[in-house]
Amino acid sequence: MDLITFSLAVLFTSVGAGVVGAILGLGGGILLIPILTIFYRVDLHYAMGASIISVIATSSGAAASYLRTGLSNLRIGLFLVMATITGALVGAFLAGVVPVRALELILGLALSYSAFTIIRQLHDELPAHVPDDPLAIRFGLEGRYHDLRLERDVPYRARRVAGGFVAMFGAGLLSGMLGIGSGAFKVLAMDHLMRLPMKVSTATSNFMIGLTAAASAGIYFGRGDINTLIVAPVAIGVLVGAYLGTRLMARMRNTTVRKMFLPIVAYLALSMILRGLGIHLL
Amino acid sequence: MSAARGRVPSVEHLVARTLLAGGLVGIALILLGGGLYAAHGGFHHHVLHLNRPPGGAPAGVFVSLRQVLDGLRRRPIDPLAVTALGLVVLMATPGLAVALAIPAFLAAGDRRYAGIAALVLTMLLVSLLVAGAVH
Repeated sequence: MDLITFSLAVLFTSVGAGVVGAILGLGGGILLIPILTIFYRVDLHYAMGASIISVIATSSGAAASYLRTGLSNLRIGLFLVMATITGALVGAFLAGVVPVRALELILGLALSYSAFTIIRQLHDELPAHVPDDPLAIRFGLEGRYHDLRLERDVPYRARRVAGGFVAMFGAGLLSGMLGIGSGAFKVLAMDHLMRLPMKVSTATSNFMIGLTAAASAGIYFGRGDINTLIVAPVAIGVLVGAYLGTRLMARMRNTTVRKMFLPIVAYLALSMILRGLGIHLL
Repeated sequence: MSAARGRVPSVEHLVARTLLAGGLVGIALILLGGGLYAAHGGFHHHVLHLNRPPGGAPAGVFVSLRQVLDGLRRRPIDPLAVTALGLVVLMATPGLAVALAIPAFLAAGDRRYAGIAALVLTMLLVSLLVAGAVH
């Protein structure tokens, strides 16, 4: 494949990854890495370098829009990202000490359980009345957004803040130990545990993943994993896709976003269980 | 909620504007680099390395800011260094947004979140250093 054809093909692929990433609060790596390595035969290290840039580009494009419309909550994002980065730091130290395959198996089973809980909540448009959490009140973990689909303002407040904080620490821990992105775990913790509206969960995750990716991007750069000729079309495509994704998501129902999120969790659960059993899909 | 909370949207707009501006500047530089690369006939002459060649980085791979700056100083300018600069701007954007949020929270009278933003920024820097040491 010549350079022009490659660049155009990767550009259009990345637009799709950006749309999905912006809607679901994922970095896009879950889609881009398999596509780049399997279909375009890109070296795994270069694909991971492209993925980390795609996470930042998605975050910049999507979070900028979501913060303005109130879908992304800056305070909740900053509060929870403290736990994620701390977890990632601890995870980096524990890597090689803790039996990874057992962890992957446990994580896979936990994700399978989460998939079932998502199915149970599949038709819940907004969380039912949730009891006040003193931590949420103290740290102002609440907000309001205008839902274009429901045509009304939606107020919300986090619950089970301590549990959510611990879950975010766990997400960072796994990310640091296993070298995987943790966007899906962040969304699960905010949606399922903290009972935030699904769209607020994915939009806030979009802001958070940019911060955690920025923390490790310099490492990928210094290792020579970021090839400008591969990453440039990815960055442009993802940013355009993220812009389109934010426009689409604003008009979606929370239940639609959750239905789109379910296969991602199912795929992650299967992939983690198989990795725990020593079978790598990639 | 406190009075400070009522003024918070300005912090969120500042962070949003920073993320948007960083993304746009980054993409503009990537496009400019791509345009210069095309003008120099790069797309016709270049062999794309999809795998990392043993020993040494292929064209298009920069491993330090110094290498990027060297490419920008070269005459004729290295178009891929312009693209790499765009990627560096993108990578620095989230950290810059958090850094700018600190004085914005302070101006809004919200010292708690100014502290949290400062802590997050410190953690970002520490994780960069730790990750650098691990790898």
